[in-house]
Amino acid sequence: MDCRDFKELLDSYLCGELAVETNHTMLGHAERCCPCRSELAARRQLRESLRRVCSREKMSDQAMESLRARLRSDATERMGNKTGWRNWFVRFFEMRSLIPAAIVAGLLFLIGGAWGLYVLRRGDINDRRTAALSPEHIKALELSASLIDETASDHRTCAPYFINATKPAEMPNSVREYDPACVRLDKVAAEGAMGLTLRAAHVCGHGERKFAHLVYTRDGQLISLLVTVRDSRALKAGEVPPFDGLALDAQRFTYDHLALGAYQTARHIVFVVSELPENENTALAERLAKPVINHLRSAELSSIGLNRIKILREREK
Amino acid sequence: MEQNDKLRRLETFEAEALGFSGQLFRVALRVCRDREKAEDLVQETYLQAWRSFHRFELGTNLRAWLYRILFNVYYSGLRRHRLELAPIEEAIAETIAYDPPTPQHLTDEEVLAALERLPRDFQIPVALADVEEMSYREIADALQIPLGTVMSRLHRGRKLLRMELAGYARDAGYRVAN
Repeated sequence: MDCRDFKELLDSYLCGELAVETNHTMLGHAERCCPCRSELAARRQLRESLRRVCSREKMSDQAMESLRARLRSDATERMGNKTGWRNWFVRFFEMRSLIPAAIVAGLLFLIGGAWGLYVLRRGDINDRRTAALSPEHIKALELSASLIDETASDHRTCAPYFINATKPAEMPNSVREYDPACVRLDKVAAEGAMGLTLRAAHVCGHGERKFAHLVYTRDGQLISLLVTVRDSRALKAGEVPPFDGLALDAQRFTYDHLALGAYQTARHIVFVVSELPENENTALAERLAKPVINHLRSAELSSIGLNRIKILREREK
Repeated sequence: MEQNDKLRRLETFEAEALGFSGQLFRVALRVCRDREKAEDLVQETYLQAWRSFHRFELGTNLRAWLYRILFNVYYSGLRRHRLELAPIEEAIAETIAYDPPTPQHLTDEEVLAALERLPRDFQIPVALADVEEMSYREIADALQIPLGTVMSRLHRGRKLLRMELAGYARDAGYRVAN
């Protein structure tokens, strides 16, 4: 280190912004070099003097009092009376610079409104679909207690092993033997898994039930996405209804501090399980399961199509 | 009931945040160069902070958050975004290559006068670093400018300050005052 380097780094040294090793080098140089030593002392003095002159300035007691009063009136006033609104309005026009921003906000509001209407209308259609399911239909879609138990237990026993897993998690090819629709399940789910870290992807089981299992974490919380076969044991009625549960929102369950959200397609049931509060889990489930459901559905449709073709070909023979 | 909750929250806010009023005022004074305006700026900062206090996570850096609000309030009043360098000031900073030894035995008045003569864009980072002892990172957050910019402004600002104090800037014919 020469004197130029020393002078360049000196201010950062005084602010404590240098690395420990650099601090040592600086001190070593100052010890050997007299002009730099006095420069160090001078700059330190200057810094202290700056701090001293500036610290003399204090806000007046009067201004502090009026600040406290304004805070207090703000806290009590904004309890829903009219003056709050009027103040807001007046202040808005005082800040002319905000007007372009307000115009943009207005436009956004219009676009948002139009979009909202569109969504509402679409929701309407969904409602009609739900309405098309009679109470008997909905009863037929009820999941069995043993399935809930198996799903929750699988999350409990399997997911914690992977909480800190760093190995790149990818659904192994062996999943094909379990269920071809679950090949690449991790890639499919990635679309809805923004903000989550994928820790594991595999096939596992609890009792007689097998799952394709994706383990995610978010802020140290474990989240499982589990896909299983919609068989007769999975449903309370003991038989698989010929219609799927796609018109339903997530079916929610709680099981020993766990929250479960479930979706059904014609041949699969998709669960999202976590220890999050039930509402959060459901919101997450909706985001996470949607691409999975779409994928499973199209896989099911195409496999039905293939089966048909196979049957037709066999008939031709 | 709700009212009581709100007042209790206000008490927490006051206990946590009002302690920084001295620091905020000093910086506001550097920014506004006028006591009354600075007091207004601090008051407005606290009002805004209180209104969004529910979004603040207790335990994170309250001081940096308050500074950020202060500069937001200031910028929004200015209609000019961020601390922007006027080209001429930039040019002055570039041309001064010589770094004289820092003079010793300066009076406080000389130091204050030199600081006040610095262009605001250099003066504020210097005040934040050397008076308020904020880290470079905190300054970047508060002013919402990149860390590299903070460092270069500090470098030039401190150099200009030393030049001012040594009388070099004026002797060499550079006008540093705004």
